[in-house]
Amino acid sequence: MPQLEQVEFFISQLFWLGVFFVILFTVLTYITLPKIRAFLNQRDDFVKSHISKQDELIKKAESIIENYEAKLSEAKNQASQIINDAKDKALKESEDLIKVTEEKIQHEIKQTEERVAKEKDTAISELNDQLKDSATNFLSKVTNIEKGNINL
Amino acid sequence: MAKGESPLKQFEIQPIVDINFLGFDISFTNSALWMTITTAFILIFFTVPFLKAKKTNSVSDLYPTRMQVAAELGFNFINSLLADTVGKEGKKYFPLVFTLFMFILFGNLFGMIPYSFTFTSHIIVTLALAMGVFIFVTVLGFVKHGVKFFSFFVIPGLPVYMLPLLIPIEIISYLSRPISLSVRLFANMLAGHTLLKVFAGFVSALGFFGILPLVFIIALTGLEILIAFLQAYVFAILTCLYINDALHLH
Repeated sequence: MPQLEQVEFFISQLFWLGVFFVILFTVLTYITLPKIRAFLNQRDDFVKSHISKQDELIKKAESIIENYEAKLSEAKNQASQIINDAKDKALKESEDLIKVTEEKIQHEIKQTEERVAKEKDTAISELNDQLKDSATNFLSKVTNIEKGNINL
Repeated sequence: MAKGESPLKQFEIQPIVDINFLGFDISFTNSALWMTITTAFILIFFTVPFLKAKKTNSVSDLYPTRMQVAAELGFNFINSLLADTVGKEGKKYFPLVFTLFMFILFGNLFGMIPYSFTFTSHIIVTLALAMGVFIFVTVLGFVKHGVKFFSFFVIPGLPVYMLPLLIPIEIISYLSRPISLSVRLFANMLAGHTLLKVFAGFVSALGFFGILPLVFIIALTGLEILIAFLQAYVFAILTCLYINDALHLH
């Protein structure tokens, strides 16, 4: 087995192993690894700052939405209030109109009734007068008493 | 592979440039070559995508390049591994675990390239890595807790008469950590590559029916790539657990 037979190369192997391991370790420790770590840290910081910025923006957007919704519901309330008011007003107006009209009609009916009653009375009294006239005429003709002397 | 060649020949170390320093043979070998390639690849793979990476200033900057995604994946993998096993204090040891994991992972993976060399298949390399981890966590434990670190070998809530039996067992298990850590990686790499080579020998030996071991090799290559990843992961997670033990004792 060359690993155990070639004893004469042990020192050479150890020497070059030491040389290259030390070179590798030194360069990695002082140049390569700090470079990689600095790069990764900087990138992580960037990503983290972006995430926090994003959180801020999300919060802002949420507050905007909240504001918008509040305003929207307020506007909706106002609109329904206006509609209700308008409805009430219209209802009242129509009721008033109906009332006024009814009163007018009632008044007219009353007037008409009064007029009819008056006319009836005049007609009856006229008839009465006529009847009285004809009765007086009739009586004076029958009894030969002068008209002026007959009192019914 | 020439006929009759040992399946272990792939593990042979061949010097490329002979170097002698103060009487020590520190020749640049094929092992050192693949360590060079691994090191260079890791550094390029993880550094280059972030050289041009812009600062994230707008949402359109959030889209990373493909290379960047791959590098981030490796980074985050080790990051979460440490966070899960050690916790917040583990961040300090991130470069160590990252280097260990990537070095072993790409060493294993590059070893899967035909005609390449797997330096993690050598016990001396894995033992050196494991001893490094072992010494590091032991020193870390003493630095953090001082003499109190020895209480790590005493399991809390145990009757006193059990201690003479269990303290030696705890110490032995602690001392065997670097051995198990190194042998696990070394043996997995050795066995996998040897097995592949043995079946590759069957392909040429069986002629037409060599298609059967060929199919097997294809499946086995997939398994070996999994093992390459898995062993690097095991090494890294055990390192994390040892660091956690050293920091929190029990």
